[in-house]
Amino acid sequence: MWGELHHLLIPHHTNNHRARALHIDALLLYVLVFAIFNVSFRLIYRIHPDILGYATDIRVEQLLTATNAKRQAAGLSSLELNPLLSAAAAQKAQDMFGKNYWAHVAPDGKTPWDFIIANGYRYTIAGENLAKNFSTSTTVVDAWMASQSHRENLLKSGYRDVGFAVVNGVLNGEETTLVVQMFGAGNRLAVVPPEGFVKPSPTQVVVSQTASQSAVSGESQSETSLPLGFTAAYRQPIFDLPTATRGVALVFGGFLMALLMVDGWMIAKHRIVRVSGHTIAHMLFLTTLFISASAILQGAIL
Amino acid sequence: MKIHRLHFFILLIILTTGIGLFFYASGNRSLQLVAGITTALAYVAWGIIHHALQRDLYAKVVVEYMLMGLIAIVLLMTIFGP
Repeated sequence: MWGELHHLLIPHHTNNHRARALHIDALLLYVLVFAIFNVSFRLIYRIHPDILGYATDIRVEQLLTATNAKRQAAGLSSLELNPLLSAAAAQKAQDMFGKNYWAHVAPDGKTPWDFIIANGYRYTIAGENLAKNFSTSTTVVDAWMASQSHRENLLKSGYRDVGFAVVNGVLNGEETTLVVQMFGAGNRLAVVPPEGFVKPSPTQVVVSQTASQSAVSGESQSETSLPLGFTAAYRQPIFDLPTATRGVALVFGGFLMALLMVDGWMIAKHRIVRVSGHTIAHMLFLTTLFISASAILQGAIL
Repeated sequence: MKIHRLHFFILLIILTTGIGLFFYASGNRSLQLVAGITTALAYVAWGIIHHALQRDLYAKVVVEYMLMGLIAIVLLMTIFGP
């Protein structure tokens, strides 16, 4: 048993001074196994997404609580959930799915403020935070807090209201959970952007330029609740296959890295000359893969 | 030895650029996959050129670099999920 493991994992004269698990045929086997694994779980996911899908639990009330907790911790007042801002956020999310974009400004030039105004919310200042592909409400708010511009938005003392939309859909051909957070502070005067209105940088706070024309009053509108499908993304599949497969891939990557480290150490120690690729180069390449994987494992914010 | 260091410095630039591109494409998995495949191809090319210049390039070495590149791509696709 020990002899077999030694042959498999440790460079030695019996394995031509390279762990058997690093020989060409072993590497080819890994490629084939993972390729078959990939095709299989993609097929299974398509057939049974509810049984073998991603576990997701993002809800508007949790987002509101987490947002207000961060504000209170910073000594700021809590925000009130505003149905007009929530409706604007829902429209923005639908617009992103409909036109297939991930940005503050739509391809047709539509800004977050257009959605806010269209829903009758009269603002003096407003802002927007976006997030996608997170699995819980807390991780969404934590990611915003970790980014300076989003954190500034979240902790802006001038805001009074907030609206959220949590929507599932397909973006760039990929199953996506979008979270749209819209901030605002209204006044008694209606706001319509004047001619030559300069479109602002989306995550920055906007101060309206004029308040001279009439628009639908946010205060006078009756409170409308969001339709179902915009307030939460909750999915608890029987088995979270995507998370499990990621775990398998990372464990395998770690195993390969450990093999290469032992290989590099043994070869350097015994000054063995052999015909093979550079172990250190392979380790650097795998390290690149691990660092890149960290960009996949977390959701994205904008 | 000096040339060896230069080669590894170039490799570091290739891999760092790959990481940069990957993070730049954050939020767009198709672009991230393209960045990953491009980095893997660049790595294979680096391996072949490096060993050719070191005069120890053999078919076995080329296959090894290609398989390492393929392993990285299949692992990346597995981490991407369905």
